[in-house]
Amino acid sequence: MKSIWVVTHDSLSADLVAGARALAPFVGAVTFGGEAVPGADLTVIAPQPPADVPLEAYARPIADRLAEAAPDLVLCGADLQSRLLAGLIAARLKTGVRNATSITVAGDAVTVTRSAHGGLAVVTETLAPGVAVLVIAPGTLPVGDDTRPAGDTETLAAVPAPGLKVTERRPKPVSTVNLATASRVVGVGRGFAAEADLELARALAAKLGAEVGCSRPIAEGVGWLPGDRYLGVSGATIKPDVYVAIGISGQVQHMAGVGRAKVIVAINKDQNAPIFAHADYGIVGDLYEVVPALTAAL
Amino acid sequence: MKIIACFKVSPESQDIQTRPDRTLSLDRAVWKIGAYDLNAIEAARQLGDQMAATVTGLSAGGPDLASPKLTKDALSRGLDELSLVTDPALPAADTYQTAEILARAIAQTEDAQVVFVGAGSADGYNQQVGNILGGLLGWSTLNAVHAVTPAGDHLVVERLLEDAVEIVEVTLPAVLSLTSSANTPRIAGMKDILAAGKRPVTTLDVGAPVAAGAELISELAPEQVDRRHVVIPGPAAEAAATLATYLNTL
Repeated sequence: MKSIWVVTHDSLSADLVAGARALAPFVGAVTFGGEAVPGADLTVIAPQPPADVPLEAYARPIADRLAEAAPDLVLCGADLQSRLLAGLIAARLKTGVRNATSITVAGDAVTVTRSAHGGLAVVTETLAPGVAVLVIAPGTLPVGDDTRPAGDTETLAAVPAPGLKVTERRPKPVSTVNLATASRVVGVGRGFAAEADLELARALAAKLGAEVGCSRPIAEGVGWLPGDRYLGVSGATIKPDVYVAIGISGQVQHMAGVGRAKVIVAINKDQNAPIFAHADYGIVGDLYEVVPALTAAL
Repeated sequence: MKIIACFKVSPESQDIQTRPDRTLSLDRAVWKIGAYDLNAIEAARQLGDQMAATVTGLSAGGPDLASPKLTKDALSRGLDELSLVTDPALPAADTYQTAEILARAIAQTEDAQVVFVGAGSADGYNQQVGNILGGLLGWSTLNAVHAVTPAGDHLVVERLLEDAVEIVEVTLPAVLSLTSSANTPRIAGMKDILAAGKRPVTTLDVGAPVAAGAELISELAPEQVDRRHVVIPGPAAEAAATLATYLNTL
């Protein structure tokens, strides 16, 4: 592998540069406005988009510059805007995009892994010759101790694609929860009969010093909790010390998000619920009896 | 005007068995329309009603895709017609291969103005086919689309990002990838299912997919963490007390 380019618009995806350093002798970065990215041999600075232009509208000129650079890999962050940039760039480069969970380089061969079937499978693939685009979640790439200063910069004269006009951008209330870094998480599912009953889980979480997360139906079906608390393949992926699943059946899509917990505790009235096959400790019982008793006993 | 809803048929994850050597058995898996793809069909139906457009389903998959069970299932959920591209290589196609085939199919479809794609497929879940497709067509392209309203010659789209809600005016034609909570897909009634059998299904000939971007080495169940599988016995209060004792030691 000779070169990797990282397309970044925030500090999280800028961390990809540090990860890329350990994989290739040359690392380029594309950024929007601002300065040279530390660790990059060359930073191409695309325009800082005006307020009514989405940064994705610059994908085409960025892709043209990347086509000229002809790298082995283009890395993008896992936020939604980076994902769209990744897809638009890949279309121009006539290549696919993969959500890589690891990258292994052996000479010219690049092998990546990705998750499939709702977390049931890990797919290992060797990339075909030519360029590939990978979306990389934070914390995926090991960061080496190569802390070289930023290299040269180059200004990209770029005209945004027409067709998209941002008329309003409302910041969302700052997320009160970062489940990914929580050391303890209590998960709630459809075993709860009413929204008000979630107080039982909140009381338990308060005693445990835990964050509250939920299954997809709670966030996207009945909407009892915001989407940033949803644990699962299309939601948050967590690796806490303890995960307590309450009234959650344990479908594969949910387990893909919580399966890396050190200890899994399950409380469910259905002794055949799949969650028990994934649990270290289980209580088969009515959560309306078990949870208050557990909270009181802690 | 046509509004296109893309969907993918893949094996139901719940039915996939893991063998002791960590390989997967799909023998008992039923092939179904992806859960997030149903959002695309629903969004297309709703916008089609508002814009008096024909709503066309589009799927690329293996030869089984043309089975009456699958085509009826798709058509009963609000599609006026269905276009299929089938090739034995397509079920394993990567994001670029899939998007490229869909782009060829859409180029054959007259007056297609809006293409909806779900948040991600049920199997690969790379969340990219819509983005690449929009890039290949050179159309207005957005992901994380949560709501769509027609406004004269363009659409007003609400886009749900991690830290902000964006309102974007989108010029047509456009490819829009939805959030997984953009709508609640309808459940087909008996009338819909009966009507579905009479709606047209067209198999398009768009040629073979391009070469894959990677060579598959293995597809295995993740290495399982060894769990203790201790079910704490006793009445609720007693079991809870035992569990509390353990949790207090952590």
